[in-house]
Amino acid sequence: MYIPKNLNDALEYLDRHAPDAIPLAGGTDLLIQIREGKIRPKVLVDLSGLKSELAYVKKVNGNIVIGALTTPNDLAKTFLHKDPKYLGFLDVYKRFASPILRSLATIGGNIGVAVSASDYLTLLLTLNAKVKLVSVEGERTVPLEELVVEKRTLAKDPNELIREIIFPELPENYSTAFMKLDRREIIITGYVTVATCLQLKDGKITDVRIAFDRVNKRIPGRARKTEEFLKGKEFSLEVIRQAYNEVLPTEMVRKSDFRASGEYRMDLSKVLMKRVLLKAKSRIEGGA
Amino acid sequence: MEEYPDIEITLNVNGKDYTVKVKPYERLIDVLRYKLGFTSVKEGCGRGECGTCAVIMDGELVASCMVLAVQARGKKILTLEGLAPPGKLHAIQKALLDTFAMQCGFCFPGVIMAMKHLLDKNPNPTEEEIKEALSGNLCRCGSYLRFIKAAKLAAEYIRKGQVYFEFKG
Repeated sequence: MYIPKNLNDALEYLDRHAPDAIPLAGGTDLLIQIREGKIRPKVLVDLSGLKSELAYVKKVNGNIVIGALTTPNDLAKTFLHKDPKYLGFLDVYKRFASPILRSLATIGGNIGVAVSASDYLTLLLTLNAKVKLVSVEGERTVPLEELVVEKRTLAKDPNELIREIIFPELPENYSTAFMKLDRREIIITGYVTVATCLQLKDGKITDVRIAFDRVNKRIPGRARKTEEFLKGKEFSLEVIRQAYNEVLPTEMVRKSDFRASGEYRMDLSKVLMKRVLLKAKSRIEGGA
Repeated sequence: MEEYPDIEITLNVNGKDYTVKVKPYERLIDVLRYKLGFTSVKEGCGRGECGTCAVIMDGELVASCMVLAVQARGKKILTLEGLAPPGKLHAIQKALLDTFAMQCGFCFPGVIMAMKHLLDKNPNPTEEEIKEALSGNLCRCGSYLRFIKAAKLAAEYIRKGQVYFEFKG
């Protein structure tokens, strides 16, 4: 266990000792991985002491910036849970693990884990988020979609840390929504999860982004063909039905496992896509 | 395999400072139970799912099996032992007894801490808020409905200023 004095100290240590040394943030995934013997790190670099440096939500030059160590409970205290445009964050929170983990897990860790159940990752994909990585060599910013390449695999060097998440503030007539369905309401992986960021003008879909827990890889991804089909069209149930019946199945591959069959997941993806779009629409129109 | 060296940390548990030597892989629950003797903290699943190890750390409800002891250095921790003065019952404990909520009781330490965390922030919670606050605490006996009753009753006691009760055994 290495306890860094500050971020620079942590980066220098990681530079000398990674990949033998692994950064530990909230620990809600890593400690289970270690317990199950899937990861056997020689040294953990405890980032919990850097919270004062790396936990924040702020608006900077038209962007919203979230520090990597911000927990769901921290997010709940910010405008992201009140502004109707960002209520997708509240949706994620309500389905996120359980109260005893919402105080520990971090948004940077949620991305770093990079699994299909990374719900903040799914939502952030619809916000065209970028991630700022930092190492002793300096900082670089990469699109979230390029950073997360496969399940538990990031396009980042072991000596780099996720520093913050950046996405553009949403203009007028935009809103976000997120849905996850499983047997219970919380402590769930979700048979299917879906997030959307939608813009409507005079009943027309002027911008839409839809992300699922899985599209054709084992990580959250965008349903781009479906988005393209919907863009510029009237927001109507017929149009949405056409999108999920004719377009979505051409880009989505759903597999069966012990939780649910691929067939059921495909059907559920369609239904949840419709529901999440309706939810975002109602938010744009001033509803909940 | 070479053993890791000890790390000395200071924890404040139930208002008292303790300086202990811990291994880097020891969890908060291990130190609370086996080094400091706070055995109210129970281990259920050991992976943050069941809630029976919940304690309040710096005002936040956390799973003590998902925190390494080292990460809790310098933090203020409240366990069930610190809820009421010796020999007294806290309103939450009294309410749980009054509603006959206990069956096996293994989940109680976590449930009580979750209720305490809720009532500290929200002295008059709705049924929905109680359900949400207790949603991370599994009870295999299925006493959930009585937990809701008890939380309402405890809130009422506390609002009336009755925080501690005599324990009559």
